[in-house]
Amino acid sequence: MKKLLALVAAAVMAAAAVPAQAQSYPSRAIKLVIPFPAGGATDIVGRTIAQKLSVALGQNVIVENRPGAGGTIGADQVAKAAPDGYTLLMATSSTHSIGPLINPKIPYDPFKDFAPLAHVASAPSVLVVGGSAPVKTAGELIDLLKKNPGKYNFGSSGIGTYPHLAAEMFKWRAGNLFVVHIPYRGTGLVIPDLVTGQITFLMDSIVSAQTHIKDGRVRPLAVSGAVRSKSLPDVPTFKEIGVTGMEISNWFGMFAPAGTPAEIVQRINREVNAIVRQPDVVERFEKVGAEPAGGTAEQFGALYRAESENWKAVIKRANIKLD
Amino acid sequence: MELLDNLALGFGTALSLENVFYCFVGVLFGTLIGVLPGIGPLATIAMLLPITYKMSDPTTALIMLAGIYYGAQYGGSTTAILVNLPGETSSVVTTLDGYQMARNGRPGPALAIAAIGSFFAGTVATIMIAAAAPPMSEIAFKFGPAEYFSLMVMGLIAAVVLAHGSVVKALGMVVFGLLLGMIGTDVNSGVARFSFDIPELTDGLNFTAVAMGIFGFGEIISNLEQRENREVFTKKVGRLLPSMAEFKASIAPIIRGTALGSFLGVLPGGGAVLSSFTSYAIEKKLSKTPERFGKGAIEGVAGPEAANNAGAQASFIPMLTLGIPTNAVMALMVAGMMIHNIQPGPQVMTSNPTLFWGLIASMWIGNAMLVVLNLPLIGIWIKLLTVPYRILYPAILLFCCVGVYSVNNNVFDVFITIPFAILGYVFRKFSCEPAPLLLGLVLGQLMEEYLRRAMTISRGDWSIFVTRPLSLTLLLIAAVLLVIVFLPAIAKKRDEAFAEEAD
Repeated sequence: MKKLLALVAAAVMAAAAVPAQAQSYPSRAIKLVIPFPAGGATDIVGRTIAQKLSVALGQNVIVENRPGAGGTIGADQVAKAAPDGYTLLMATSSTHSIGPLINPKIPYDPFKDFAPLAHVASAPSVLVVGGSAPVKTAGELIDLLKKNPGKYNFGSSGIGTYPHLAAEMFKWRAGNLFVVHIPYRGTGLVIPDLVTGQITFLMDSIVSAQTHIKDGRVRPLAVSGAVRSKSLPDVPTFKEIGVTGMEISNWFGMFAPAGTPAEIVQRINREVNAIVRQPDVVERFEKVGAEPAGGTAEQFGALYRAESENWKAVIKRANIKLD
Repeated sequence: MELLDNLALGFGTALSLENVFYCFVGVLFGTLIGVLPGIGPLATIAMLLPITYKMSDPTTALIMLAGIYYGAQYGGSTTAILVNLPGETSSVVTTLDGYQMARNGRPGPALAIAAIGSFFAGTVATIMIAAAAPPMSEIAFKFGPAEYFSLMVMGLIAAVVLAHGSVVKALGMVVFGLLLGMIGTDVNSGVARFSFDIPELTDGLNFTAVAMGIFGFGEIISNLEQRENREVFTKKVGRLLPSMAEFKASIAPIIRGTALGSFLGVLPGGGAVLSSFTSYAIEKKLSKTPERFGKGAIEGVAGPEAANNAGAQASFIPMLTLGIPTNAVMALMVAGMMIHNIQPGPQVMTSNPTLFWGLIASMWIGNAMLVVLNLPLIGIWIKLLTVPYRILYPAILLFCCVGVYSVNNNVFDVFITIPFAILGYVFRKFSCEPAPLLLGLVLGQLMEEYLRRAMTISRGDWSIFVTRPLSLTLLLIAAVLLVIVFLPAIAKKRDEAFAEEAD
């Protein structure tokens, strides 16, 4: 009986402690898991946010890079962490929209296991060809590919990666082009073959294409996204050249484990929205080709659900399977 | 003039306070660990690689790694001369005459001539890299998947041909490395192979963990077997500067060794080891008094030491310009670059000119530091040689584990070192050289990728490898190399050439 009483008392106290805990949040250091290696775009975005969040919340936000298996190792770690607001994830399209569609063995559910916190940034892509390619515009490229089905190649950073799916989407939206996919281990490796003409086009992130665009090695033809990119103001959007449905961006967003108290979600969402408007943050994001985003946690949740549907259609159409 | 502009850019980068500092740290730590008997450059770099992962600037990281490399290379010579224990294979020949000089009461001049010879060779090799790199990169842009594949076939065959001892064993190690390289996600289909549903294995084996297990831990385990009876010439170093006669006798071997190393170092599988052995053989042939060799001839120290340093540095050329590691140390450097999101290859020179030229300039600075660091501090290194292994090795093991863990913040990688440490020990017992394995591990993955990419581009037509002239040439060279190894007459000669090192 005494034991039972003690249990009840403990339960009551624990229940009472929950709101108190949320109010005093954060009372200790927060861990932000970045599921990609140090130095990449996700890492730079994540570290920028972590540094600013430390100031805003008055507690250290410690960055932990947990790379591996296309970001799923780090994401899985957060999915299985306690939903107390002390373990957060900096995710991208790869971990939450594309990865789970491509890999049936993924150990987490991108929708059920996470509570969306905030949409941090977006990174549109750019369609590039080699600097000495015979085509000068996207229209000419589409014509060339239409007239020579199966003759040309495109490169990507691997099966089911963002550049691969973006290119598949381009093939579809530009009129069901037949171009052969050649996977690489990163878009940087595609560049030499793009220059020598063995690869005809590549959908690259603006930042990684930027250095090669500057020295004339590759030529940008069109950017995805709703409006032109600030980094490439002379390059038209797909919409402008008459290819619709290509308003796609790779997103960076934050998640907590599912079941995280609503107050904590609100609090972090509010802080992140303030952070992504700070001029020095905007400037740092621009360097990695990312445009600051923002909005409510619900909007972010809706965005990545909608995006998943979008990619699902592309994957089905292009018949992409891991086999 | 472009050469001067490039070097100016390089020195501008390499001479920043931060880079000079890390270059110094690299050279210092490299020497420190390299001085430990039995632990060579490969093990040293494998152990210290993880600490560069957290550096913000890849240039600084590479400068430090390069510093570790020639620091360890040089440290190996110190133990070769003073303790008769080569720190690494390329200083095996230094033990022949260097140790005899030490026994004859001339350890100082032996150490000094090794340092001076290395510095001269390093200077020449630096200039050569600066001059050779731009045209090499131009050629590299003509390389498609077919050419890369053929180049790697040639590289692997050359590695087998130039490996010591049994060809069969070397071949076996390469194949084993190739198989290990299969673990991970297949680029063409996106399927995880041999990962046994372990998510950590879907990216392949952690290269650092494998290298550290096989080279670092494996070497330590086998060193522990040896009894600690070292005869260290602690008090007898005395006079450092060589006499005028010794100087004169060394000049020609140093120049010849430098030329030899600069040439052989560029070859796949060549590098420091082959250069030093060849130099020793040449000096002995050219000498009017070959009977002095093995009894303390200064030429036998000067030539090989210059050659191994030039060879070590020249092996950076194919790595930096083609992105192809020609030996296991360069394979580690490639891993170091990839961690920083720099894909080695012809594009590095144009997209990262400060990194490229900064690294080259730092090589000269590092070599200069070695001379300054080593001659006056020789006493300290000797002290280190007297620290008992039972204290030294547990500390090294601990730091290694911390290093491996910190790469991915993953305990799994630390566990990965265990089976490879055991393997590394077993390989030593069976005298199987583990370097071809590492090369197979790195090149295997790349080779498969390039093969399949070339085949996809040719839409399944194998003739792509022989209709492209560059690719055909490379394959023909590979075929010639293969014939050479298996021709009985030549195979016998080869055994003789390598027999000299056996004692």
